[in-house]
Amino acid sequence: MLKFTHTDLVLLLIALGVILILSRFMAELGKKFKMPIVMGEIFVGILLGPSVLGSLWPDMYTAIFPRIGAEKIAFDGIVSLAVIMLLFVAGLEVQLNIVLKQGKAAIYTSVTSMIIPFVIGFTVVWLFPRVLQCEGQDKSIYALFFGTAMAISALPVITRILMDLNMFKTKVGMVIISAAIFDDLTGWLVFSLILSLIGQEGEIHNIWNTIGMVLGFGLFMLLIGKRIIDRTLPWIQTKLSWPGGVLSICLGFCFLGAAFTEKIGLHAILGAFIMGIAFGDSVHLHEKAREIIHQFVTNVFAPLFFVSLGLKVNFIENFDLQLVLIVLVIAVFCKSFGASLGAYLGGLTKRESLAVGFGLNARGAMEIILGTLALNAGLINEKMFVALVVMALVTSMISGPLMKYFVGDQISK
Amino acid sequence: MDYSKLKKRPSFPIETIAVAIAFSPRLDGLLSEANRLRNYLGAAMILIHVGEKTAEKEEALEKSINKAGIDQGHCRIIWMDGDPVETILNVCKLNIVDLLVLGAMQKENLFKFYLGSVARSISRKAKTSVFLITEPKIESHKVKKIIVNGVDNPKTIHTINTSLYIAKHLGAKDVTIVTEVHNPALTMTMADSSTAPEASKIKKDITEEQTSRVHPIIEESHKQYPDIKIKEKIVQGRPGYAISSYAKSKNADLLVINSPDIHLNLLDRIFTHDIEYVLQNLPCNVLIVHSRL
Repeated sequence: MLKFTHTDLVLLLIALGVILILSRFMAELGKKFKMPIVMGEIFVGILLGPSVLGSLWPDMYTAIFPRIGAEKIAFDGIVSLAVIMLLFVAGLEVQLNIVLKQGKAAIYTSVTSMIIPFVIGFTVVWLFPRVLQCEGQDKSIYALFFGTAMAISALPVITRILMDLNMFKTKVGMVIISAAIFDDLTGWLVFSLILSLIGQEGEIHNIWNTIGMVLGFGLFMLLIGKRIIDRTLPWIQTKLSWPGGVLSICLGFCFLGAAFTEKIGLHAILGAFIMGIAFGDSVHLHEKAREIIHQFVTNVFAPLFFVSLGLKVNFIENFDLQLVLIVLVIAVFCKSFGASLGAYLGGLTKRESLAVGFGLNARGAMEIILGTLALNAGLINEKMFVALVVMALVTSMISGPLMKYFVGDQISK
Repeated sequence: MDYSKLKKRPSFPIETIAVAIAFSPRLDGLLSEANRLRNYLGAAMILIHVGEKTAEKEEALEKSINKAGIDQGHCRIIWMDGDPVETILNVCKLNIVDLLVLGAMQKENLFKFYLGSVARSISRKAKTSVFLITEPKIESHKVKKIIVNGVDNPKTIHTINTSLYIAKHLGAKDVTIVTEVHNPALTMTMADSSTAPEASKIKKDITEEQTSRVHPIIEESHKQYPDIKIKEKIVQGRPGYAISSYAKSKNADLLVINSPDIHLNLLDRIFTHDIEYVLQNLPCNVLIVHSRL
């Protein structure tokens, strides 16, 4: 029987300590050059993983990050917790009333920036499955995944870009935020559906059952669960220790939600994400509590997750320039075109619409999480995963300069 | 129907007040409150009842009118059949009503919240300003403290001016213009990439931006209404909920907000729209100003 020994514990703690310290330093260094934080974290993963450390000092690499055994299982468990919590905090920021409130421009942009990339992504896989590494996979599920990967946005990186450009409170800024919220919500719902369809043992589940369960759980939580949480939170925040009480309850429900969806055959991320929406939508969740949850997850668990990607995949061996370029071109074209079209139909000027398009083009951490889950589920291979990671990083870096080019000083308030 | 007279009609001066009446124990109080408003504002008054006209109802209404001290020479009664919400709104449009007075329960249960009561439904749809009275009183009382929403919206300047006009006529001396600061996704963004001074600076800049917007409006209003003490306040939180909580904590007599920019439907109750936070749990009497832009 596998036992978690004293040595395993020591090695696990060393691994966690090294990851957290190195990724923080790398993130701070990257910040000086306006790089996304996630880029520094992935870079640490590449340094510590098979790409660099594994090639230069394989013994040290396998000692700290073994491929099998109790330490590996414990580390994978922590990484699974990290992704569940990342989805929970992503859900905390989904406030659909913002989309509805922004009116026509936001609604049009939200819909077209989701549907057009999804349809283009789906069609490209359908027509050229081999080019996009679809061999040995169910074509329709792979196409659904690729469409979703093209459609998803990354709210944190988009908000950071808008803040840096001083566009956060502008009309263009709010349209971008609204559409990113909508894209995140629909993207994760569709992706959960895809993961549920694959199933844990790789068998394909009944699609209507799965859709029914996703919708049923989502509607229950958004209509009834959300109201129950909203009514309970004031009691939790006044009667239990502050802020420890609310932190325990929020994360406790996040894990219970994740466990429930995993148990009924949907993926754990769906439960965490929907629970995040339900808590985040409550007006009673104090800003300070929200801040603590974000700080805790983004600074402790997010680095562990993003560094772990570099530990598991050899980025150098699996870098396929042709595939990377194809994925990048499709991603940039379909998202920018889809979002710009919606913004233009919604009444924004041509330049503003293009700024919206390039703003939403940033995929950031969300795309990387999506790619990792797909890789873990055996849906994509390592080459496609690396292409998605590169695409996420490149789109995040080009987004700001392109938006600045198109709107400059002409941003209408 | 010709609604052209309503378009671009300013939200004040208020020339015609309508009162939607139902035969409930609160009717006497509601009529008394409406009559006081009518007297202060010097407006004409219309009483609207949707339902069958019977001798008993006429008699009961006559009694309530007398109890409220309404001069029947300045008051018109309209009896109509049909859907209460649509009928009341149509009567208001036809009669160029500037202010519709309604009695409303302070809080709605979950079932009613989704389905919508008459007062709330009218508030969501009205093309005229709506005055929601939560606890109508027969005896006269002073309106002292008014809270006004200072949200960044073209309608706000009209709402502020209307609230000052109301304050002047009702004798209120304390008006606070409240701006709600809510930055979705900002917490998440600052969590991983901002140092403490950066985060404080970002928050400070956002607050100052709001202050610099409201400040000139207040200075201008001071000149126009020197007897009224006009203050400004920034509150953090979800729009609608933050101002509602603030009004409650300050024991305000009246909360004045903009009419919604969009046509509200069930989705806006599920993914709560700003105004729905106020309607869900009325903190005090509420005036929804329709600026007819």
